[in-house]
Amino acid sequence: MTDVLVLISLLLVAGSATAVVAVRDPARQALVLAVLGLTLTVLFTVLQAPDVALSQLAVGSALTPLLILLSVRKVRRPGRCEGGDR
Amino acid sequence: MNVWLVTASVLLVAGFVPVVWGVATGPLGRGVAAQNLGTSVVCLAILLLSQGYDRPSYVDVALVVAVLGPVGTLVYARLLADELQDDPPHTRLFTVSVVCVTVPVVVALCLAGGPGRAAAKLVLVGVLLVVGNVIASRALTGGFSRSEVTR
Repeated sequence: MTDVLVLISLLLVAGSATAVVAVRDPARQALVLAVLGLTLTVLFTVLQAPDVALSQLAVGSALTPLLILLSVRKVRRPGRCEGGDR
Repeated sequence: MNVWLVTASVLLVAGFVPVVWGVATGPLGRGVAAQNLGTSVVCLAILLLSQGYDRPSYVDVALVVAVLGPVGTLVYARLLADELQDDPPHTRLFTVSVVCVTVPVVVALCLAGGPGRAAAKLVLVGVLLVVGNVIASRALTGGFSRSEVTR
């Protein structure tokens, strides 16, 4: 019966991954990518791998979107000094 | 499949489908608010899963989500400040719904687990969720002055 939970998590992952690809604005893509990281966290927890879920959470839902947002800011505002971005 | 896992499934479907929809469509401010709601939904779902699978160590993942979620939202509020300033999102409904779901879930989990260190951890996660949501929604709607958010 836990297959239902696995199925729900997989469908959520598929839905949010499709949304990441479908969205065109980079800043919004970072947000949807964070949500994809959250759904993957749930999937790994359901699959009884909390350690993988923890690292996925740190990397997928926090670090990667932060890096993307910082890059988007840097690209959109050329000539801005780097100290202001940190 | 016990009642905790059923509750977690219902919470995931009812809470996360609107989150994905809200993040992918509509104004950017609503996307940030929806992402914040998503972290709260995931945190509560993992709490329920840890009780459902009878694995207390899974609460650690929920604790990390409860800490990282509002921090991430504050980062978005800082980096997307220009976009959010033009069109501040309405986060009151999200915050109220998170509080309305968090309190019964945490109370039920504490009652099921009995008093002890685990119950204290659950209460800590619940308090972090509620406080983090209030702070994050205030930051998103511009409740703090700009200098306070940006330090």
